[in-house]
Amino acid sequence: MSEFFSILEYSFFRNALAAAFLTSILSAMVGTYIVSRKIVFITGGVTHASFGGIGMAYFLGMSPLLGAAVFAVLSATGIEWMSQKGKVREDSAIAILWSLGMALGIIFVFMTPGYTPNLLSFLFGNILSVGRSELYIMLGFAIVVALVFVIYFRPVVQTAFDPEFSKIMGVPVLFFRYLMATIIALAIVVSIRSVGIILVLSLFTIPQITAMLFTRSFARIIPFAALWGITGSVLGLFSSYVFNIPSGAAIIFFLTLQFLLVKLVIVLRDSLLRGRNSAVGQH
Amino acid sequence: MKPLVKLENVTTGYHSEPVLKNVDLEVFTDDFVGVIGPNGGGKTTLVKVILGVLPVFSGKVSFPGQKPQMGYLPQISQIDKSFPITVRELVASGLKTQHPFWPSLGKKQKAQLSDMLEQARLTHLASRPIGELSGGQVQKAMLCRALISRPDLLILDEPNTFVDKVFEQDLYRWLQELKKEMAILLISHDIGTISPMVKTIACVNGNLHYHPSNQLTEDILKVYNCPVDIIAHGPVPHRVLKDH
Repeated sequence: MSEFFSILEYSFFRNALAAAFLTSILSAMVGTYIVSRKIVFITGGVTHASFGGIGMAYFLGMSPLLGAAVFAVLSATGIEWMSQKGKVREDSAIAILWSLGMALGIIFVFMTPGYTPNLLSFLFGNILSVGRSELYIMLGFAIVVALVFVIYFRPVVQTAFDPEFSKIMGVPVLFFRYLMATIIALAIVVSIRSVGIILVLSLFTIPQITAMLFTRSFARIIPFAALWGITGSVLGLFSSYVFNIPSGAAIIFFLTLQFLLVKLVIVLRDSLLRGRNSAVGQH
Repeated sequence: MKPLVKLENVTTGYHSEPVLKNVDLEVFTDDFVGVIGPNGGGKTTLVKVILGVLPVFSGKVSFPGQKPQMGYLPQISQIDKSFPITVRELVASGLKTQHPFWPSLGKKQKAQLSDMLEQARLTHLASRPIGELSGGQVQKAMLCRALISRPDLLILDEPNTFVDKVFEQDLYRWLQELKKEMAILLISHDIGTISPMVKTIACVNGNLHYHPSNQLTEDILKVYNCPVDIIAHGPVPHRVLKDH
């Protein structure tokens, strides 16, 4: 057992735990907004579009995360703009951005001379290689997002639920829609290092739908989702060490396992209660 | 007396496609206007241009006095009932904050919220998400959202669809009281039920024909180019538009 926990002596593992913790809190807030507004597909589009930015950054010799951030913010705000204008079907626009982003990424990476060592870690994530400076970025961004959610909770929820009524009430709907599109894009980019482009969407949806098995209140989903995110990530992280499997995939596996187990417990509990109630009814 | 809202030769619609053309209408403080017309005739478009959520292609929408506070109850089908919002949060979203970028509620507004929930007998449901409520309960919460800022003009879009009879009766009783305090614009397909309540009727079908009383016959509807008949409808017979 002590051998098992000896892994905590390594700073890279402690960094990974901190990254899992911060990413879970960040994705709990942002993911609750995504799931509530039913824009999971949009988020998938933004995530994959960011790969174009990573490829371009490699080609230009810039920071890949900066390239991903630029592409993600532009595509998220672009989709929001198109849905406001209503001139292009939203699902078609997302599909275009989704595949264009991936295509650009592949082209730029192909054109980049030499070997691109970290490319796989962006695609599949490598939480074990998260450095201290990246942790500070995650922490800073999580604090900013938490402040936005605390101060602007009402308009964020209100504009997500009923933008038309919010507009009538004088709420600056466009401001909050674009603000949230930008936050979603940056939250995705910050979380890419943990689980990778291909799997990051799960981090923003599975803990939330697990939380929604317990509560249907926006404010209460967030702490529940953070809790499920943290337990799933920590379990995934330790199992990736024990079984020597990729950390991103292990995290997603445990997040899904948690969801299925909780769902099973709830179904069993409900059928037990139903059985008890019908027995009482017969007496 | 100045009208609360004045529409002069207004043409409006969606994505530069006009739905309503050359509409004139004035709504005064003591008005109770029933808005009727066939599906797709532009009833909802009319209220949306008054509310300022649709663009005016030509003509003018004005508020000759101070801009009135408007309360709006949209069609329940426009609402996502699976959205995780509680009754308290929903009703509170009808409160205007002092500053849109500093949107916390003051003590007075919190008291206003409690009063509204109490008055509507929704206090016991305040912490429940709307997804767990019946159609009537959601509609009641939505009506509270429209009323909590004490509007000068209350706009209701088909408030009696997807709701139970008990709520419908409550709603009409409530409207009888509210019409003493505010102007009301009520979209409905149920002419039989609303005509004793409303003062005037606006027939909307691409254009608007204002009828200065609450009595309508099929002949008048023909004149107004509202191609609908009034028929008996439902287990307790009441008159509705034929295409309903």
